[in-house]
Amino acid sequence: MTLEIDHITKRFGTTVALDDLALNVPSGQIFGFLGANGAGKTTTMRICLGILRADSGEVRWDGSPTSDLPRRTWGYLPEERGLYPRMTVLDQLVYFASLYGEPPDRARRAAEHWLARFRIPDYADRRAEELSKGNQQKVQFVAAILHGPEVLFMDEPFTGLDPVNLALLREAFVELRDQGRTILFSTHQMESAEALCESVAIVDRGRIVAGGSVADMKRASRSRTVRLGLEGETLPTWLSLLPGVVAARPGAGFAELELGPGGDPSAVLAAALSRGANITRFEVTEPSLEALFIEHVGRPAGDDATLAAEDAA
Amino acid sequence: MVRRDPLLPNAGIVARREYRDRTRSPLFVASTIVLMGLALVVAISPIAIRYLDRQTVTRIAVVADDAQLASVAVGVADSLLNIPPTGSDPAKWERPFDIARASERSAAQADLAAGRVSGVMDVARLPSGQLDVTYRTNGPPNPVRSQLVGFAALALGILDWTSSLPKDSQLRPFQTPVFTPVSIAAPGDGDQPVDPQELASRSFLGIVFVVLIFITVVIYGMWVATGVAAEKSSRVMELMISAASPRQLLTGKVVGIGLAGLTQYVAIALPALGVLAVQDRIAEAVLGPTWAAGAPLVGLTPNLLGAYGLFFLLGFTLFALIYAAMGSFVSRPDDLQTLSLPLSLVAMAGYLSAIVALSGGGGRWTTLASFVPPFSPFVMLARVMTGSVAPWELALSVALLLVAIAVVAVVAVRLYAAGVLLYGQRPGVRAFIAAARRAG
Repeated sequence: MTLEIDHITKRFGTTVALDDLALNVPSGQIFGFLGANGAGKTTTMRICLGILRADSGEVRWDGSPTSDLPRRTWGYLPEERGLYPRMTVLDQLVYFASLYGEPPDRARRAAEHWLARFRIPDYADRRAEELSKGNQQKVQFVAAILHGPEVLFMDEPFTGLDPVNLALLREAFVELRDQGRTILFSTHQMESAEALCESVAIVDRGRIVAGGSVADMKRASRSRTVRLGLEGETLPTWLSLLPGVVAARPGAGFAELELGPGGDPSAVLAAALSRGANITRFEVTEPSLEALFIEHVGRPAGDDATLAAEDAA
Repeated sequence: MVRRDPLLPNAGIVARREYRDRTRSPLFVASTIVLMGLALVVAISPIAIRYLDRQTVTRIAVVADDAQLASVAVGVADSLLNIPPTGSDPAKWERPFDIARASERSAAQADLAAGRVSGVMDVARLPSGQLDVTYRTNGPPNPVRSQLVGFAALALGILDWTSSLPKDSQLRPFQTPVFTPVSIAAPGDGDQPVDPQELASRSFLGIVFVVLIFITVVIYGMWVATGVAAEKSSRVMELMISAASPRQLLTGKVVGIGLAGLTQYVAIALPALGVLAVQDRIAEAVLGPTWAAGAPLVGLTPNLLGAYGLFFLLGFTLFALIYAAMGSFVSRPDDLQTLSLPLSLVAMAGYLSAIVALSGGGGRWTTLASFVPPFSPFVMLARVMTGSVAPWELALSVALLLVAIAVVAVVAVRLYAAGVLLYGQRPGVRAFIAAARRAG
């Protein structure tokens, strides 16, 4: 089974939000959909879910157009978080599951299980407005999975979570994957994608600019990551000005440099030696997902490539 | 290709949530109790009016120079001011005017000054033989009552003149002409003409009903709009729209809130109907066994309540669909006030037309508006209240409303589907049209 996003195009007025976007997501995988804000991730998910209609192209699951499949095939965690403020947590979880055809008793039991799993079992009878944002986010995640969907669309699921909740949510992702669910999640947080995804697609201005398994992409990349330890200073300014360095960030006692396709690790070493620096560490590794992203998009993932219509979508 | 989800069960699930949410709110409970009390007052008002009417006996003192003249004056005034209603038993009927001779002119004046009598009819004979009738009141005279006393003075003069004719006169004695008012365009209930008192009662009820339908349609309609806007501003709409189709969500919301309104209506109507069912017994207890002799106790009837229920449901559905579409276009509930103003003005136009119709005015506009949605729920209800509607007119008005609801529903679903995903845009006509095209 595969989720096939088959050359979809979507325009909002004169703005092209998706431009012949094509993508295959194998079943039973956690698939990262990477892109800057406004790149077209949310629009793609909304088209997959049938909330928006593509101007052209089609989305299929297991060979069938998604519009022919029941809604309960999908689970959706929207980027814009929201719950009924005055409704209790358990009531609204049962309500959302009922809309997907889940019997209330079963939904109630499953909701209680997941609330306990996320360490918020005491919040079941509280109103949503009494919960912190992080806890509301976990409740929304539960709302998306309670009916046991085959495919999960998660739009920026890790944004705003503290490290403990981030770890809980990642564990849940892995558990769902192990149950055979297919998860497509969008993010511009490369660490989460790196930790969870077997495959990713990088989208920029409505087009897929790179995609495939993370390992293959790293192998095929001409980018490299260099970790350079210098005695006395972690990240001198001259490092980020070296030719071929597209990103430089401080590590624990070393500087991590992302080298673009033209970058040469030995040139970095030579430059350090020529400056008389005392080198404590020199390591060349595969490029990070962040480096791959920069290689294909030309800027870090946090930078906006805003499509005005994305918000309007 | 567009997914076509069946309405049920999701529309029902949404409706149930909306219904529970509304009926459990303190505002709903409080307004239901207030309206229930109002309906009971309306239902019992005919008996109360009759009771108060019966308690109010107007006393008029007659003063004359001689006993015979005083006796004739009392008789004439009594026959003109105390006319029993059609069909009542004169023996049991309680007279609204107590007309009696006062022996002393000064005593009558003192009674008038002290408020013990409402008027003094002073009959004197001038030296020429002509009668001189003065009607004294304490404060501004009641014009209708003064006119009746004037007729009594005229009749008294005629009787006095005929009594002075020679006994062998060829002239026939004066006879009071038979007088019967007949209207060629009297409002009727089917073939039965509506009694004027009943008509007045229905007009009063009509105002209550038209005000009630206007308030409920606008308030419940705004509930729908604010509900949609709140779901959108709290972003829960994002979850909803993936779980259910716009058609299911819109239908569920309108049905749920409509049922909450219907619940309120039933809660208001049931006690009122209960009062109607035992109206005779209450009347007998309050007015005594002779209560039936007066004008019929007309107020709320099951038919009128049914008409109100029907036009409330149809009117609400029509307006609620439009309100829902509007609610979907605002990002914050605060913006709704501006956007919904034109629709509230349309409802206001229907309401004012209905008030004009209740007063018997409006002419062709009233007739036309009673068929044209969205005015017809208000204006046709007003026409039904005044009893001037043929069955085919009622059927046509309802049919046109149903057609309008069907058309508006299709457009509203499209607008709603597009509107709920629009964020950060100022609502306006262009946004409406563009979004509807996009959704299409």
